[in-house]
Amino acid sequence: MDRKLDAELLAMTNRPRLRSPLGRARGLGSAKDGVAAWWLERVTAIALVPLTLWFTASLLALSGGDHAAFLKWLKTPLASLCMVLLLSALFSHLALGLQVVIEDYVHSWAKIPAIVAARFACFALCVAGILATLRIALGT
Amino acid sequence: MPMIIHSSSQVPRTTLFRRFPVPRNLGVSASSRIAPGRSWPAPAGARRVKIFDVYRYDPDSGNSPRLDSFEVDLEECGPMVLDVLLWIKNKVDSTLTFRRSCREGVCGSCAMNIDGTNWLACTRFVSETRERPTIYPLNNMRIIKDLVPDLTHVFAQYSLVEPWLKTSTVAPESERLQSPDERRQLDGGWECILCFCCTSGCPSHWWNADRFLGPAVLLQAWRWLMDSRDEATGERLDDLEDPFRLYRCHTILNCTRTCPKGLNPGKAIAGIKKLLLERRS
Amino acid sequence: MSTSSGRPLSPRLQIYRPQLTSVLSFTHRLTGLIMGLYAVALVVWLVAAAAGSQPYSSVQTFIHSGVGQVLLFAGTWCFFLHLCGGIRHLFWDAGRGFELSTIYVSGWIVVAASAVLTVATWIASWMLSSSR
Repeated sequence: MDRKLDAELLAMTNRPRLRSPLGRARGLGSAKDGVAAWWLERVTAIALVPLTLWFTASLLALSGGDHAAFLKWLKTPLASLCMVLLLSALFSHLALGLQVVIEDYVHSWAKIPAIVAARFACFALCVAGILATLRIALGT
Repeated sequence: MPMIIHSSSQVPRTTLFRRFPVPRNLGVSASSRIAPGRSWPAPAGARRVKIFDVYRYDPDSGNSPRLDSFEVDLEECGPMVLDVLLWIKNKVDSTLTFRRSCREGVCGSCAMNIDGTNWLACTRFVSETRERPTIYPLNNMRIIKDLVPDLTHVFAQYSLVEPWLKTSTVAPESERLQSPDERRQLDGGWECILCFCCTSGCPSHWWNADRFLGPAVLLQAWRWLMDSRDEATGERLDDLEDPFRLYRCHTILNCTRTCPKGLNPGKAIAGIKKLLLERRS
Repeated sequence: MSTSSGRPLSPRLQIYRPQLTSVLSFTHRLTGLIMGLYAVALVVWLVAAAAGSQPYSSVQTFIHSGVGQVLLFAGTWCFFLHLCGGIRHLFWDAGRGFELSTIYVSGWIVVAASAVLTVATWIASWMLSSSR
C-alpha cells in the first residue's frame, strides 16, 4: 500500500530523489583527509625511479648468467637492500594506485571489498618477495 | 609543428582518431542512445553547401535522441558555428534549440561539443571545422532539449565552494586594500565565464560527476584561495581536502586543452594540492 | 548517479576527440596496471630463485621462450612509458610545465624517450648476453 503510494509520488514528481541540488552536491561533506595518500604515492614514485633503474641495470648485468650467478649477486648487501626497498616501494605504490583506480570505476557495494582485496594481495606479495630475498641473502 | 599545440584555440589540422575506438553504445542507457535522424536539405539556390550533423532531442515527442543532418548554405550565414545554428533555426528548422547571448565569447551560453571537443559556438570559425562537422551538447550532462544541457548540478557544485569573500575582520571605511602583486594572483581565475567546457570534457568528472567538483569549480576555488582579502583560506582548504572533491583530478589536462578563454584549470588544481601539502609540513 | 527525470545523458567517451592529454593519461594508467601484473611476476621469479635451481630454471625457460621474450619486451616498453610518464607527472605535481606547448612537447618526449629506452635496453641485453 505504502510502496504503491511511493511509486505514484515518484511518477508525479518525475524525480527519484527529492533532495535539493546543493544537498546532493554537498553529499556527506568533505572527508578533510586525502593529502597523506597523495603524498605517499608521490614519495614511493620518487623512490621507485632510482630503484627500478637499478633493477633494470642489474638484470642487464646478469643477462646470460645462471642460477648460481644470480644467487651470488643477490647475496651482496647492496643488492639485497635495494631489492627489499624496491619491493616495499613498488607494492605500496601499487596498492595506492589500485585503490584510486577502483574508486574511479567501481561505485557499487563491490568497491570496499575490491579495495580490501587489492590491499591484502599487495601486502602478501610484498611479504613473499621480501621473504624470498632474505632467504637467499641470509641463507647458505 | 602541427603536433605541438601552443594555445587552446589551435585546431589540429589532422586527427588520427576522431573518437576513442570503443563501441558507440558502451555503457549507454537505452534512453540516451542516439538514433539516426532526418536529413534537412538546403533551400533551393544554395551555393556553398556544408553538411552539419547536429544532436537533437525533443522531450515532448518521447523519442530517443537523434542525429540530424543539415545542409547549410555558407554563403548566406556568418563565419561562426553559432551563425550556422542561427541560420538553421531561421531558414530550415525553427525547433532547433540552443543557448546563446553575447555572440562574442564572454557569456559562456553557447558552449557545446564541436567536432569532438568543447568550445564556444560563437568563437569557432566554420572554416576551422571538419569536412562534415558534428555538433553535440556538452558531455555528460542531462539534456533538456537539443543542445541545451541541465547545468543545475554543476552550479550546485559551484555554490558548494562558497565563491564569495569570507571575512571576520570588520569591513574598512572604504575598500579592502590589495597590492598590484596580490591582485595579479587572481589573474587566470577571474576571467572564467563558467561555460563548463572544461568540466564536461574531464573524463574523471564523467565517471564521478556526483562527487568530483571538476576543473571549473576547482579553478574558482583556487581564485578564492588566492584572494589576499579572503580570511577563510583554512576552511576552504578543509572543504576541498577530500578523496573525491579534489583528488579525483589525475592531471589528465583535457581542461587546459579545451578552455575557450585560454585559462589553465589544471595548473590551478595543482596549486591547490601544493597548498594542502604545504600546510601539513 | 541514478537516472533522474528521464532526461538523456549527452555522449561523452563515444564522441570526444582523443587528444594527447587524454590518450597519454589513459596510457599511464594502463601501463601502471600492467606493471602491477609484472610485479606479481617479479615475486614469482624471486620465490622460484629462493626455492632452488630446479624451480628457477623452469621459470627461466619460460622467460627465454618466444612467448616469454614477447612479454618481456612488452613489459619493458610499458615500464619505460610509465616511468617517463611518471616523471612528467612529478613535474606537474611540483607545479611546473602546465603551459599548453610544454604539455605537448613533454608528452611527445615521453613517447619518444620510452621507445628509445626500450630499444636501447634490449640492444644492450642482447650485446651483453652474446658476449658472455
